[in-house]
Amino acid sequence: MTPLDWVVLGTYLVGIVSFGVWAGRGNKAMDDFFLAGRKMRWWAIGLSVMATQISAITFVGTTGQAYTDGMRFLVVYFGLPFAMVILCLTLVPFFYRARVFTAYEYLEQRFDARTRTLTSLLFLLSRGMAVGVTLYAPSLVLSVILGWGESTTILVMGGSTIVYVLYGGNKSVIWTDVVQMGIIWIGILLCFGVAVAQLPAGFGFRDALALAQTTERLRVMDPSPSLTAPYTLWSGLIGGLFLMLAYFGCDQSQVQRYLSGASLTQSRLSLLFNAFLKVPMQFLILLTGVLVFVFYHFHAPPLLWNAVQMRRLQERADPRDLAALQGRFTAAHEARRRAAEGYARSREADAATAYLAAESALQAVRGDAVRLVERVNGGARYNDTNYIFPTYIVSYLRGGLAGLVLAVIFAAAMSTLAGEFNSLATATMIDFYKRYFHPSGSAAHDLLVSRLFTGLWGAFACLIALQAGRLGSAIEVVNRFGSYFYGSILGVFALAVLTPRASSAGAFYGLMAGMAAVALVSRFTAVHFLWYNVVGAVVVFAVGLALSALSPRAVGHA
Amino acid sequence: MGHSKRMDQPPDDPVPIFGTWPRIYAAVIVAALASMALVALFSAWAY
Repeated sequence: MTPLDWVVLGTYLVGIVSFGVWAGRGNKAMDDFFLAGRKMRWWAIGLSVMATQISAITFVGTTGQAYTDGMRFLVVYFGLPFAMVILCLTLVPFFYRARVFTAYEYLEQRFDARTRTLTSLLFLLSRGMAVGVTLYAPSLVLSVILGWGESTTILVMGGSTIVYVLYGGNKSVIWTDVVQMGIIWIGILLCFGVAVAQLPAGFGFRDALALAQTTERLRVMDPSPSLTAPYTLWSGLIGGLFLMLAYFGCDQSQVQRYLSGASLTQSRLSLLFNAFLKVPMQFLILLTGVLVFVFYHFHAPPLLWNAVQMRRLQERADPRDLAALQGRFTAAHEARRRAAEGYARSREADAATAYLAAESALQAVRGDAVRLVERVNGGARYNDTNYIFPTYIVSYLRGGLAGLVLAVIFAAAMSTLAGEFNSLATATMIDFYKRYFHPSGSAAHDLLVSRLFTGLWGAFACLIALQAGRLGSAIEVVNRFGSYFYGSILGVFALAVLTPRASSAGAFYGLMAGMAAVALVSRFTAVHFLWYNVVGAVVVFAVGLALSALSPRAVGHA
Repeated sequence: MGHSKRMDQPPDDPVPIFGTWPRIYAAVIVAALASMALVALFSAWAY
């Protein structure tokens, strides 16, 4: 990090907090604080929806995943455009016309209070945990760069976000998201351009793609019908569809964004805006990760991406073992570089075979290094996927670009955190505090308590983040955790809007059955987590309909 | 039915492009299918 990088990063942090406070002025009631006065335009909401979804985990985790595993993860987003259309046809009109603050509030209008309370509680549990992981991921960045403790980073990032969300509410969230999304797009295009420009002389973009293709890192479409294989075309299209329906339709952190629309048309357009842009954006991020993989054929990668763990290894491992391992790694990297150049020159099958053998040899040495770290750490699992991209940024970006890309990672994290703090506070305030404890507070009282809940959720997120380092690949952790509840909650909303026959008892016990089904599938089968949402939603819908038909009053609230 | 118990429907903006909402949805789906086809082509292309 050069002084210029620090100036860029510092300017971003001070600027975004100041702008957030300025943009959020003038809140007088909960309607202003939670829904920005219901006056927002589609493009602002659309950018905010996108910024809320693209967390730092997306930026850091998926580039690392593309480096190690390729672009298969893209299929998760294939269901998104279809989900947006379905939501515009179904849930969005119901939410908008019901003039609710939370998605779960609508369930009380349609079913009963217990269904609303349970779904809102599940949101608070799952999103409350996920927001901690969202906060944790960027802390990896600074721990690599400066040797700072992750705790310090967590408190700086979480604290600065809390300041403007606590003051300005949803108006601050949306307007800072607009700015942050602009910064994120600039950063994505910049990273992509730099990764291409840094390929060695005589080794073009096409050569890079050929090399990546040889290792199957460009493979996106896996047509396997297997339910256990990760990221197949079908799990992406079907599982991804259900995941996106649940996330955008039933997760308050997204619903709250489009409930802020000045009209139903504005709300719908904001989602369709995402339907157009999300897949290309994710494609660029993943491709950048693949290009970083190619880049490290011609520049020496570290033995371990986590510099802190590398230092620990140097302190605790036998120096002769470590030196021998480092020597084997350097030799294997050099052999892979030569093989890659040979393949780029000839493009013949023999050269491809030689290159793949060299790649396997390098990965075998890496595997030995990982096992050594795990042994030194008493058997604790070691995964440094999330450290790959940050290491690349600080090692090879110059002229303030490292600071700018780090600002992008901060922007991605803070935009997601802001939306989540705001939505967690909204669900707590509307679905619990005002519903059960203090329904008739003055506007000033409600505003004060809303800010208090925002601050408390921010503090809770910081606490969870401090424990998140023990979890695995952050991107998978977030999606996996949400998948335990998401599909079942989606099933309840499907019962609410798709069939007039669904009763409140059917919805409530159907929800229980759906969660039990997901827990059983998760515990006793190897089905990939993207299918959990499908299982949950289908079981809730089927059980809910059956119970509704059996109940004395089959027709729901008339 | 509960979801027919609607509030007074707030005034809405006119459909912004393509004349009707079904046409807008169709455009989104066509764009999604086209992007998937392009991704498939990108993956399978012999570089």
